[in-house]
Amino acid sequence: MEGPSSRVPSTQHGGLWPSGGRDLCEETESDPARDMKTHFRVCRFIMETGVKLGMRSVPVATACVLYHHFFERVNIHAYEPYLVAMSCVYLAGKVEEQHIRTRDIINVSHRYFNSGSPPLECDKEFWDLRDSVVQCELLILRQLNFHVSFESPHKYLLHYLLSVRALLNRHAWSRTPVAETSWALLRDCYHGTMCIHHKPQHIAIATLYLALNSYGVELPVGERQWWQVLCEDVTEADIDTVISDLLQLYDMEAKCI
Amino acid sequence: MDRELLRQCLTYHGASLLDKLKCEQTENPDFQAVVSDLSKATSESKGEEQGKPLVEQFIARKADILFCPTWKIATCQKEGHVEEEEEAAEPYATMPPLELFMEVSYEERRSMLYRDLERGDIVVGRINNIREYGFFLTLLCMAGGLTRDVEDLELSALCHIREIPTTGNHDDPLSYYQIGDFIRAGVKDIDRYQEKITVSLHQASLSSNFEHIKLGVITREELPVHYSRSVRAANDSSETYEYILKSCHGYHNPSVVDYLLEKVGITDTHPPSMMRGLQSKLFQEEDFASAIRKKQSASWALKCVRAGVDHFKHGRHVEAMNEYNKALEIDTNNVEALVARGALYANKGSILKAITDFELALESCPDHRNAKKYLCQTLVERGKQLEEQEKLVTAEGLYRRALALDDSNPEAQEALHKISDTIQKSIRLREEVLAKEQVKAKTSQTSADKLRKILKEEKRMKKKRKRSASSSSSCSVSIKSSSSSSSSSSRRTSKKKKKKHRRSEHRHKRHRRISSRDSRRSEEGKSEEVRKDKDEDEVEWYPAPPNTSATFLNQKGGPGFVVRDEEEVEEKDAEEKRICRLYSLSAASENEESDSSRKESKRRDREASWTKKRSSMSRSPERERSRSRERRDKNGERGKEYNRRNSDTSRRRSSGENSRRRVSCSSADSEYSRKSSVRSEYSGNTGSASKHSDNRMRCDLSKRNSLDGGRYEVRGKRENFEAEVKSDSKRSESTGNHKPSGVTSAAGERPKKELPANLLDIFNQIAQFEKEKAVGPKK
Repeated sequence: MEGPSSRVPSTQHGGLWPSGGRDLCEETESDPARDMKTHFRVCRFIMETGVKLGMRSVPVATACVLYHHFFERVNIHAYEPYLVAMSCVYLAGKVEEQHIRTRDIINVSHRYFNSGSPPLECDKEFWDLRDSVVQCELLILRQLNFHVSFESPHKYLLHYLLSVRALLNRHAWSRTPVAETSWALLRDCYHGTMCIHHKPQHIAIATLYLALNSYGVELPVGERQWWQVLCEDVTEADIDTVISDLLQLYDMEAKCI
Repeated sequence: MDRELLRQCLTYHGASLLDKLKCEQTENPDFQAVVSDLSKATSESKGEEQGKPLVEQFIARKADILFCPTWKIATCQKEGHVEEEEEAAEPYATMPPLELFMEVSYEERRSMLYRDLERGDIVVGRINNIREYGFFLTLLCMAGGLTRDVEDLELSALCHIREIPTTGNHDDPLSYYQIGDFIRAGVKDIDRYQEKITVSLHQASLSSNFEHIKLGVITREELPVHYSRSVRAANDSSETYEYILKSCHGYHNPSVVDYLLEKVGITDTHPPSMMRGLQSKLFQEEDFASAIRKKQSASWALKCVRAGVDHFKHGRHVEAMNEYNKALEIDTNNVEALVARGALYANKGSILKAITDFELALESCPDHRNAKKYLCQTLVERGKQLEEQEKLVTAEGLYRRALALDDSNPEAQEALHKISDTIQKSIRLREEVLAKEQVKAKTSQTSADKLRKILKEEKRMKKKRKRSASSSSSCSVSIKSSSSSSSSSSRRTSKKKKKKHRRSEHRHKRHRRISSRDSRRSEEGKSEEVRKDKDEDEVEWYPAPPNTSATFLNQKGGPGFVVRDEEEVEEKDAEEKRICRLYSLSAASENEESDSSRKESKRRDREASWTKKRSSMSRSPERERSRSRERRDKNGERGKEYNRRNSDTSRRRSSGENSRRRVSCSSADSEYSRKSSVRSEYSGNTGSASKHSDNRMRCDLSKRNSLDGGRYEVRGKRENFEAEVKSDSKRSESTGNHKPSGVTSAAGERPKKELPANLLDIFNQIAQFEKEKAVGPKK
């Protein structure tokens, strides 16, 4: 990367970011596995920050998608992932029309890394951080060629939920937290790159499938399966892949955090 | 753990899940409690292995989250409320029933419908048969409560004639319906065994969510959207679920996610997660953006305040103010900034602004010590200012407030003590005056008649002066009261030259009762105003002053003011001044609230009243006099009434006196009605109190102009007073206006010191005469 935006190296804010130290101890591992863990942690950071910033699910998802797309194109060692994550949150807020102020992003992030610390002073450090976030946002935009709008599985899932609900007895439905579970699964799948490798419909169907499966809910069977109806090109194998990717993320949680 | 859910799950997954659960949830006491139950469930299971060990592993690991009772956050949403508007605007894609695409078998769909259909659901059907006991519907679709594909299920529903609302005519209700009509009806009953459905057209048959949906005949256009879509999908195989979904307007609604989240019942502010690290209980409130921002703003603001204080200490007040304002910009209602700015304001003399700041600070932090301390001091300061401006009650209120903040503040205590003394004295004085007025009122009822009688008598007994004088002391008093200023009375009795002597006697008496006369005059003016007020607003009818004389009298009970000798005149004058001050404060408190614009309007007012006054001067004095006499008679009665009320209200007031709010409120109440009295009072007083000859002249002039406290005169005087109090420049202007018309008369020169020596002799004579006169009636 050339130009001023590339001058956002990870060393600039070494004081704030703990990741450099954390990564060192994992050097024995192979690179892809280590990167995956780093991404997992950074995405966890995005999600925690999103909740603390009061972001809705779709902007958080967009932030993660932006993040994953960005690091698909660049080497993870070239840029500070947490700074990229902060800028992704900021940019996702703009993309999804839920504007988040940089000051809040910086505050929440600072507290994330230095838990229990007093809020930042209004000094040069703060303004430098703010500049970095904004600069990095430009960098992301250029890396992604300004393609920052993505189709999210959220709408699909919600429509599917309504359709599936109609198939079931309403009392059985109200007893079973399928909606919550599928929504939780959908949110969780943004921890990994799976969220950009699968079609949104497939992700939506897979999360719904897993949720129904988890509670042993059986849907009526016709000539075609319910998921075949919802999405023409999905196959059982697709669903299984998504689910196994997702379940891997849950395994990873135990390993990284 | 939700036992039912877990059992359902185990029945589905079989024994392998139970094994994994037992393995994963060993440390979960909830699971241990239900595990024995569950083994039974698995034995009942179909035994078929789902063959997904990963999923089972997942379920087993997350069982504590999945089956936690609190996981189910979605409350059973009562949909249907908005169903109709929904269809019109389509906030989300309304999809045809899924089983249509899935091609579920006829039998299964039929049994599913009979299983799930409930009383209160809405169905749409076409009439296929009308009998004398009702009509039969072929069900087309569901319209509320359940969305199912029922058109080809050959379902028939009976609508009994009792279930058809009658229009009130004697016609057969069935005559309104024809075969082929589309009917929207509520499900009344389902016989699941004999597979019979009965429907009703009564609105009462619907469940409460659908109350707004009208039952009865509908047009083809009113058929549910999902039905028309499913008809299209059934006829055209290219209309897949996905295709319809994306062609719907609702799908492209930018806020469709939020809308549907609410509909499904998921909260997005505390989103669910299966990740252990993202459980919402782990999020602490102080880590949230709003909390940090708040804290940060406070700390940034505090920094500014510190810088400001530093500036302040070095005397750079402008910079300090800038810093404080910056602090308040960062953090509105920052207590420290408000206190510091308030202190700066107080230092700069902007006491009102300072008070506002301190009050704001105390609002958000009621125990702030400095804010309290400063506010207390500033209130006392302000009170002293007001005292100087003779707004005593307001000042007193401020002192009380100051003491309420800090009851040990010696300054406030002292000031309050002093001011209550002053107020109490003046109130007592006024009470007394009012009491006298009451007495007077009784006699003055018939004073006109009496006066006439007396005049006749006097005419007859010109030469026997003593006897004529002894006719009635009360009568003479009444005359006195009426002829407040002698210049006018002289005209009234101008035909009777012999009266001159009596008049001088009056004047003599007047000196002794200056105060009473003045206040009487004020009473007249006042009650006139009151009359006006009464018409306008009964409630504002002249409330008593906030601090009742009763309490103060009880406290002190000291020297009475009843007996007065000539030696006390001086003291009385002082007393009077105090009254005036007391009265003036109502006028002043009005000033206090006023901003510049109000002052402006007042000035205009004043000018207007000046012109009014001048016009009143040009009126014939005779008319004026007769009018005022009538007025006076009425006023007598009114005065009595007023006294009664006054004592009532004062009693009430004394009970709630300690409530500061009440007091200030009452003072505000009384302000309006008292205003007039104040002003007339003052006008009466100007002669004696004023050191400006101009003023005296003015006073005389207006006295001559109208007999007693006529409205115009009072107004004019009031304006004088205001002009005097407010600004010197204005005063000079107004007096300048007046000078040319000023005609001095001897009557105006009341002050004792200015009396010529020979008059004293006459007074002495008169005094003697009066004594005899007083004895007279008793004979």
